[in-house]
Amino acid sequence: MKKRLSSLFLVVCVLLTGLSLPSCGIPKEKYSTYSFDYFDTVTSIIGYEETREKFDKVSEQLLSSLGEYHRLYTIYHRYDGLENLCTVNELSNGSHRTVTVDRRIIDLLLYAKEMYTLTGGRVNIAMGSVLSVWHDYREIGMNDPSRAQLPPMEKLIEASEHTDIEKMVIDEEACTVTLTDPDMKLDVGAIAKGYAVEMVARELEAQGIDGYVLNVGGNVRTVGARADGEKWTVGIDNPDGEGENAYFAEAALAGEALVTSGSYQRYYVVDGERYHHIIDRDTLMPARGYLSVSVICRNSGAGDALSTALFCMSLSEGMALVDSLSDTEALWVMEDGTKHTSAGFEKYENN
Amino acid sequence: MNESKNNVPAANIGGHKLKNDLVFIAVLLLAVVLVGLGIYFLRGEGDSVTVTVDGRLYGVYSLSEDLTLDIRTGDDGEERNLLIIKDGKAYVQSATCPDGICASHKPISREGESIVCLPNRVVITVTTEQKDDAPDVVV
Repeated sequence: MKKRLSSLFLVVCVLLTGLSLPSCGIPKEKYSTYSFDYFDTVTSIIGYEETREKFDKVSEQLLSSLGEYHRLYTIYHRYDGLENLCTVNELSNGSHRTVTVDRRIIDLLLYAKEMYTLTGGRVNIAMGSVLSVWHDYREIGMNDPSRAQLPPMEKLIEASEHTDIEKMVIDEEACTVTLTDPDMKLDVGAIAKGYAVEMVARELEAQGIDGYVLNVGGNVRTVGARADGEKWTVGIDNPDGEGENAYFAEAALAGEALVTSGSYQRYYVVDGERYHHIIDRDTLMPARGYLSVSVICRNSGAGDALSTALFCMSLSEGMALVDSLSDTEALWVMEDGTKHTSAGFEKYENN
Repeated sequence: MNESKNNVPAANIGGHKLKNDLVFIAVLLLAVVLVGLGIYFLRGEGDSVTVTVDGRLYGVYSLSEDLTLDIRTGDDGEERNLLIIKDGKAYVQSATCPDGICASHKPISREGESIVCLPNRVVITVTTEQKDDAPDVVV
């Protein structure tokens, strides 16, 4: 009898173990942390480690590295003794200086040029003059809804005449950048977060660390799988759905990036209408048609640029672009909530 | 040690064995079904919300008890987000932040869902107590 009981006990234990525990090794716990210090958004880090101390050490390293990228790429803040994109945008005697910058700025700008070509100009970091008009009106409207106004179209059109990316001259050898149109400005908002996330994720990978996921304002990059061997589940938010309908989709990822651009993430309200932050270069207005567009691919920098570009393209044009790229899938959610996916999206779906 | 051998007449051992086997199998099946049902029904639904302010833990609150919580932030606690937990869902009813994006966010109840108030640096996330799903404490 006892023998039987112990064998039953063993069977149940094996079952339970198979269901709830990793197969071997020191059990790792799941930890997470948040920061509000970078890229004007919230950063979250989730990771598996044996101890809280170990996790804190890794996340501090990640945040410090992310902080360096933030200070280099921000167009809103100047830092003593640092040439960053804010100082590149500054005028001196009516024109831009030739600025010697950190290699990481040159790398971002070159990558942004690649993305400009890839997206047929939909992602253009030389759109700063237009985007800064929107930024100023949005800031006023968000801080004091009673003063919320749309920017006048003449102002936007005037600004749009200074968005030629060829006027951004880069000298790779000398590590310099010069804006040759005095009225142009850089705005890397559609690419810098995703690019920086990719770079810090690669730093982790280079150290052989895995079992982490980073999320900087909707730019998600997984580093390896979870410690229990399962893939990470990334929910794509349905801003109007609750309970079972909380997510439009759940993607299972291990090493890939998922970036979502949504009209509900950052917006201000004028006369009861929401105006979000993704500006279509053709209309100079917030792009219409989608609630959100999500891209799954290997590189979170490309994911960032692509999700913005797809948001500003028709579904058929966007679908053709995604189909032309390897290891890239997308989910489009229309304004009425209907969903469209690229051919291979379902292989990432977690049902 | 060998209770069954000592107490049960030899002729009946086979019958008892069969009966015991059936009981074991029944218990085993029941256990598997219960575990399966538990996983099926509990999957996805979180049981509490974790509130952090500027990355630091503010508190963990059960989703099963209705609650009104005034989350105070800012240097002198002058900034506020009024968190409501009702019928297993959490939402921000009102807030002092200028954009009001947190207050227009849908109620949340599924694990991993969160409401973020960027100006006040508040994150409200649905979590569960099961260790392999999500941590209870976020520091």
